[in-house]
Amino acid sequence: MRVLVVWCPDWPATALGIDAAVPGSVLAAGKVAACTAAARAQGVRRGQRVRDAQRRCPDLVVADRDPDAEGRLFERVAEAVAELIPKVEVVRPGMCAVPARGPSRFYGGEESLRLHVQDAVVEAGFDCGAGVADGLFAAELAARRDGGVIVPPGGTAPFLAPYPLAVLERPELAGLLARLGVRTLGDFAALPAGHVAGRFGADGARAHRLARGEEPRPVAPGAAGGDLAVRAAFDPPAERSEQVVFTAKRLAGDLHAGLAAGGLTCVRLAVEVGFVDGRVLHRLWRHDGGLSAQAVAERVRWQLAAWRPPAEDAVWGGVAWLELTPDQVVPDTGRQESLWGRSGVTDRVARAADRIQALLGHRGVTRPFMVGGRDPGEQVVRVPVGDLPPHDLPDGPWPGRVPAPAPAVVPAAAPRADVVDARGRAVRVSARCEVSSPPARITVPGGDAERVAAWSGPWPVAERWWDPARARRRARFQVVTDRGRAYLLAVEDGDWRIEAVYD
Amino acid sequence: MEGGGVGEVVRVDGGTVFALPSAASLKGRVPVLPALREVVPGGGLWPGSAVGVAGPGAGSLGLALVAGVVRHGGTDESGGWCGVVGMPEFGVVAAAGMGAAPERLLLVDEPGERWPDVVAALVEAVDLVLVRPPEAPGPPVVRRLSALARKHGCVLVVPDVAWPGTRLRLRVEEAHWEGVGAGHGVLRARRARVSADGRGGAWLWLPGPDGRVAPVTPHRRRLEVVA
Repeated sequence: MRVLVVWCPDWPATALGIDAAVPGSVLAAGKVAACTAAARAQGVRRGQRVRDAQRRCPDLVVADRDPDAEGRLFERVAEAVAELIPKVEVVRPGMCAVPARGPSRFYGGEESLRLHVQDAVVEAGFDCGAGVADGLFAAELAARRDGGVIVPPGGTAPFLAPYPLAVLERPELAGLLARLGVRTLGDFAALPAGHVAGRFGADGARAHRLARGEEPRPVAPGAAGGDLAVRAAFDPPAERSEQVVFTAKRLAGDLHAGLAAGGLTCVRLAVEVGFVDGRVLHRLWRHDGGLSAQAVAERVRWQLAAWRPPAEDAVWGGVAWLELTPDQVVPDTGRQESLWGRSGVTDRVARAADRIQALLGHRGVTRPFMVGGRDPGEQVVRVPVGDLPPHDLPDGPWPGRVPAPAPAVVPAAAPRADVVDARGRAVRVSARCEVSSPPARITVPGGDAERVAAWSGPWPVAERWWDPARARRRARFQVVTDRGRAYLLAVEDGDWRIEAVYD
Repeated sequence: MEGGGVGEVVRVDGGTVFALPSAASLKGRVPVLPALREVVPGGGLWPGSAVGVAGPGAGSLGLALVAGVVRHGGTDESGGWCGVVGMPEFGVVAAAGMGAAPERLLLVDEPGERWPDVVAALVEAVDLVLVRPPEAPGPPVVRRLSALARKHGCVLVVPDVAWPGTRLRLRVEEAHWEGVGAGHGVLRARRARVSADGRGGAWLWLPGPDGRVAPVTPHRRRLEVVA
């Protein structure tokens, strides 16, 4: 099957708005997940640790990976391609594929089609390569070579032969083969298929098929019937995207139940969203290892987020129906199905969280996780229910951390306070951390003055002094008033703020 | 558990012995932290009831009730779930210090005007909901949420706001912070006299130096066998 692949280089960096001319890198789990061409020119590579990358390129712009942004922004590329060829399959954010046979006849040849598609994407504002070949694997490599080439029908095996085994993205297999003296796809393809399957198992056989330029799976065991499709109608039409996403989660569950009954799993999913005025938003989503219900809902959210005007939360016109169709189905060889980021969330709690997310949006309900940090507010991150908790967080020590016990009330934005001495003058703290006079009264917003019964401080806190833009210098006080209340105060540039209340 | 029907015997520091209501007598109650068991009538909260906490110290009392459920609640007492609605200032670190596992909290910081729907969704799933309504709730909302809470056995804790039908009101009557002097020291602990419905009043460390809630040990000499 002839396939045209559009591949946008360094998509994780593009999605975060890092210009290709700027040396920049995107991190996942403390390692470089993607970098721009400028960074690559200075020796930054994927998989490097940040420290190594920064040593090679000191002015490297570093950002954390954001898969949501990648998915959202890539919708615009898919949109541009869909203008020319309606049947676009998003393989992953950064790469999409279309069947090339029909459209190439319409556009007058494969080269003409390739240029048309490439121009459309470049016009949409994204750098890309487009390549045509037999099968997805070869087409991706064709798209990545010199801005895109065309591999003639039947020419896949010679085209693939010089590539190193790393392109198979199976490091263990590649390492083993390298030790056996097999270094290129051509060498690997020359091995007898039966022996490869016997020695390396099903996954090895799949890799071998790829190397020989064949489809990774012989054929789908049967076209997915329409009976596996699941559909939900909204009456009245859904005005908010969260409502649709919430339903998508449930539909995905139904879909998986239907597939599981047939011992199947779905690697490509068609999501159709119908609007009130009859327009239909159709998109194919591919996933390497089967789509979980959570992942399906996420993709529906991306699809809707790209459609509606970004500032407004209302789905344009209202959504009338939603349909999920398994487009490509393979036998289920067994995998762990995980709906939630972490086990331990009971069904009841998951359902309640779903309902609240449908009301308030994905970030509406969160679970707190304790992380390192100095301020009482910094020590907690709130993770939306369903997202993975943070990992690889820096661990202390945190000099200047407020000692236990922790305050009971930690306002998100510290309110101002007035702190004066016995003669009514504002209390100041000098650069050498000397208090001008002992605090005698404090006034909190919305309250009357309270007399200070006991106080302690100042405790200087100098944070990020090495980074002038983010450096902060504060002095903290603990104050107990005559009403038995205790406050954690901080003074910064003469401004007093209530960081926390020991209520 | 040892002690059978009489009471669970807890040994606190200094060797003093307290008799607390036994596990059997707490059956069917929503658990509270052990130190609060002698304050709360019956040693636990009634499922489906509304609890008011007010005045200075209401924040810590709310945290302590949440911590009690998260630590000792749930079907097999291995830990329950709590919801916190409309309180972005909820001190998660302090709750963890009192013994709550933070990952079993559901925080809804900005429910806006949808707070009754959020609370309605939560009471079906969790054992206790701490909610600060953005405005004084109208009688229909109170009726609806109280009925739902009763049906699902979920405790509603409402700080500072008058909630009709409140079954139990906890208050800090008196409190003294320790550890800070005139320009020196650090807040170490607070002695607080906590009362239920204006009655009783036990002195507690709320919180103690390690962040936990503990009874203040009275200076009582132990009886010793001397002959």
